[in-house]
Amino acid sequence: MLYKHLPLLPIVLPLTGAVIALLLSRSRSLQALWTLATMLTALASSTWLLAVVWRSGQPLVFQSGGWAAPFGISLVGDLLAAVFVVMSQLVLATGVLYAIGSKDSVVRYPTFYPLYLMLAASLSGAMLTGDLFNMYVFAELLVISGTVLTAVSDDRYGTEAAYKYFYISLLASFFMLLAVGCLYVSYGTLNMADLAQRIAVDTGRLLLPGIGFLMATFMVKSAVFPFHFWQPDFHTAAPTAVSAMLSSVVVKLGVYGFLRMTTLLFLPQAETIRCLLVVLGVVGVVFGGLSAIGTHNVKRMLAYSTLAQVGFILVGIGWGTPLAIAAAIVFAFNHSLIKAAMLMLAGYVASRAPVKSAGFDVVTGVGRSVPVAGVLFFIGSLGLAGIPPTNGFISKMFLFSSGIDAAELGSLAFIGMGSILTLVYTMRAFQRIWWQEPSGGAKAKPGGDHLLAPAILIVLVLLLGLWAEPLVQVAKDTSVWLGNPAGYIQAVLGG
Amino acid sequence: MELLTAIAIGILFAIGVFQLLRRNIIRSAIGLIILANAVNLFLLSTGAYIGVEPAYVSDSTGVLSDALPQALILTAIVISMGGTAFVLSMLYIISARYKTSDMDEIDGLKN
Repeated sequence: MLYKHLPLLPIVLPLTGAVIALLLSRSRSLQALWTLATMLTALASSTWLLAVVWRSGQPLVFQSGGWAAPFGISLVGDLLAAVFVVMSQLVLATGVLYAIGSKDSVVRYPTFYPLYLMLAASLSGAMLTGDLFNMYVFAELLVISGTVLTAVSDDRYGTEAAYKYFYISLLASFFMLLAVGCLYVSYGTLNMADLAQRIAVDTGRLLLPGIGFLMATFMVKSAVFPFHFWQPDFHTAAPTAVSAMLSSVVVKLGVYGFLRMTTLLFLPQAETIRCLLVVLGVVGVVFGGLSAIGTHNVKRMLAYSTLAQVGFILVGIGWGTPLAIAAAIVFAFNHSLIKAAMLMLAGYVASRAPVKSAGFDVVTGVGRSVPVAGVLFFIGSLGLAGIPPTNGFISKMFLFSSGIDAAELGSLAFIGMGSILTLVYTMRAFQRIWWQEPSGGAKAKPGGDHLLAPAILIVLVLLLGLWAEPLVQVAKDTSVWLGNPAGYIQAVLGG
Repeated sequence: MELLTAIAIGILFAIGVFQLLRRNIIRSAIGLIILANAVNLFLLSTGAYIGVEPAYVSDSTGVLSDALPQALILTAIVISMGGTAFVLSMLYIISARYKTSDMDEIDGLKN
């Protein structure tokens, strides 16, 4: 095949970029530019991968080291992985832009940009790999780079939040190792395609614990309801450029894992897993929405909102019809753009506040002197709540119509209520920051972070709201691919 | 031998979880280390009882042993060692800042 090595590029480019960025640490501006160039190249390569895979209708499989499929590590660029990698790298590239325009002292930390590129490499790797243990390695790399980036944050409590997250994530990686052990002892393979083939024909003795441990892992990664407690602290304390990534694309790793679990790995058990996902999703939507209303900090509010929005995606995966899965993918893509933009705007407001903080008592009224950010935040709020002409509307409409189609009216009623909660908390934040008089006559500081990165994301939000056809079409095709796991298995094992 | 390993892994898990849930932040980090070892032993036992001959030696005759769990553990050990070192260094910063190792007194995030 001509494009055999293409799935390697989105991983290798940021990885080598990180090493070279480390060598450039003497000159901060050169390092920043290098990082931006690397991220844009990686984005271009993953878009290329998506285009090739979509046009050819065949997953691109790269067998690393030339070892045949069940023995070596295969990198599988199928449509789902390609869409998720494009989404991640798009948001990560704007994150670099935000970091370059940021006044935080953390971006002048010599290893900030190399770690950021490691984050990008490991996220793409975890999504493109076709091997369960390799996914563990990439997930661990992701956790470590995310933790270090938070631990050096300007926020006083960065280290504690990072400690909390790292602690929980180490537990999650133990869960994943246990799942790997359980599945290996039952089936003697860790290649996902091979595993899927074997699980479909017989039930191993340790299959159920394996499924349970794997679910627990992805629930921690995605901060799904009972395992969410680390997430608001961590996403609040992280530097803005990083927390915008953590809360938008990094949580999507768990979503990706759930999609793989229910459509490839555990097909005979998928019905039970889906049932659980609907329940967890509904609880997440309601609980996340209510908690977001009860917060006193914009960034924290948005972190809780992620909990609710991931709940919507899980409900979509849980309904399990092809239309609902396509809706979940569209929702995941759109949510990444909106949430990253909103967090960057929250960080921008915090950087203009008299004291650098995103607490409501500090930022009240600060927005009155920055109306442009207010317009962007307002559009972002509309997107989060799902009101036209934003892409949030497309994803919610698609999700709800797929729910009506699947006749899941009970869970639909709950998530409908949850989506009204979204409007309540985003509008309250908008009103407090941009309408209310500042208390004590506090004026916004001049300067602050640059608005370019959130502006790009908001333009994309509007663009995907007005011209949603390509994204919806890709998601529908992905869903068709996911409905045919035999094609995936054939491509990996027979290619 | 299988039974002994199983019991040992079980005991390690029990101690690890117990220590993990302690209020003392240093003890709970030690619990994490013990748990890491328990998980590694579990991984080892997935391939320890099939075959006795070392793999990749050309002139062996009997049932070959499985080399993959060992490779997995080697990776897992390295990662958990790095993780532990990082946990301990963060723990040092936190306990130096609060002058305590009691989790209830490390309450900066609560406000």
